[in-house]
Amino acid sequence: MTEMEPREAEIDNLLRRFMAAPVPGLPPDFEQRLMRAVRRGSQPLDRYRRILLTGYGLTSAVTSAVVMRGQGLGWGAISVMILGPLALVAAARWARRATYPTMGHGAK
Amino acid sequence: MESDSQLVARAQSGDQQAFAELVRRYRALVFRLAVSILGREFIPEAEDVAQEVFLKVHHAIESFRGEAEFSSWIYRITFNQAVNLKARVRFRSLHMDETVLYQAVSLGPGPYRQAETALRDQALAECIQTLPDVYQSALRLYYWLGAGVGEVAELLGVPENTAKSYLHRARHLLHGMLKERGYSCD
Repeated sequence: MTEMEPREAEIDNLLRRFMAAPVPGLPPDFEQRLMRAVRRGSQPLDRYRRILLTGYGLTSAVTSAVVMRGQGLGWGAISVMILGPLALVAAARWARRATYPTMGHGAK
Repeated sequence: MESDSQLVARAQSGDQQAFAELVRRYRALVFRLAVSILGREFIPEAEDVAQEVFLKVHHAIESFRGEAEFSSWIYRITFNQAVNLKARVRFRSLHMDETVLYQAVSLGPGPYRQAETALRDQALAECIQTLPDVYQSALRLYYWLGAGVGEVAELLGVPENTAKSYLHRARHLLHGMLKERGYSCD
């Protein structure tokens, strides 16, 4: 650190005294517990959820299309109404991924 | 020793050993960053944050494209996770706890001096809590957890000069706040 002015040195000393406490650490079994949680929450459940969600999404889309068609809407409008929100979600996820790794977290 | 990017590539193809190695490499740093944001009275919560961060990383590692360093990515996830948790647990009474837990070692011999020091420490704890999260984190990393300016900068994802200015600015603000409340720093 560079040379401090006297009042900064005073608060520096005070902070050193004030924060003089043991440094905490992670428990020794942290990694084991984490890897257990990783294994528990991984592949099969994810795949099951994905299949379930896809099935639900497809059923909803087909039902919506049939209902809208029954109301006299054309296929173009139906496609826009069903695919539009999906495209928005995809675009938002793409934008988030594009910015995610490079954003800093500066002072607010 | 394998580089982070090699380990990430292996973890992306489902190699649990590579992921475990990344955990070993970053667990202490992730925990230090979490605890520096949350403060001394939230150590169990900081452990939870560390676990959540690695679960998130495991879940999202396939989408990590290596445009930034893996370390920056994981520190940013940690920072956001800890700040979000802090916002949720802020209702708890922080100030007294932090004062007591830091156990000021400067207590004078007489009861009057002890009471005065305890009040000043309580005021200091309250002032620290009002600083921006990055300043609080920088202060705890530097003064409590013994990190150098370089480590503070790395964990907060800023250049060293910025980390130095966080510390300088935080000290300046604290000095002013204590003076305003009628306490001296000596």
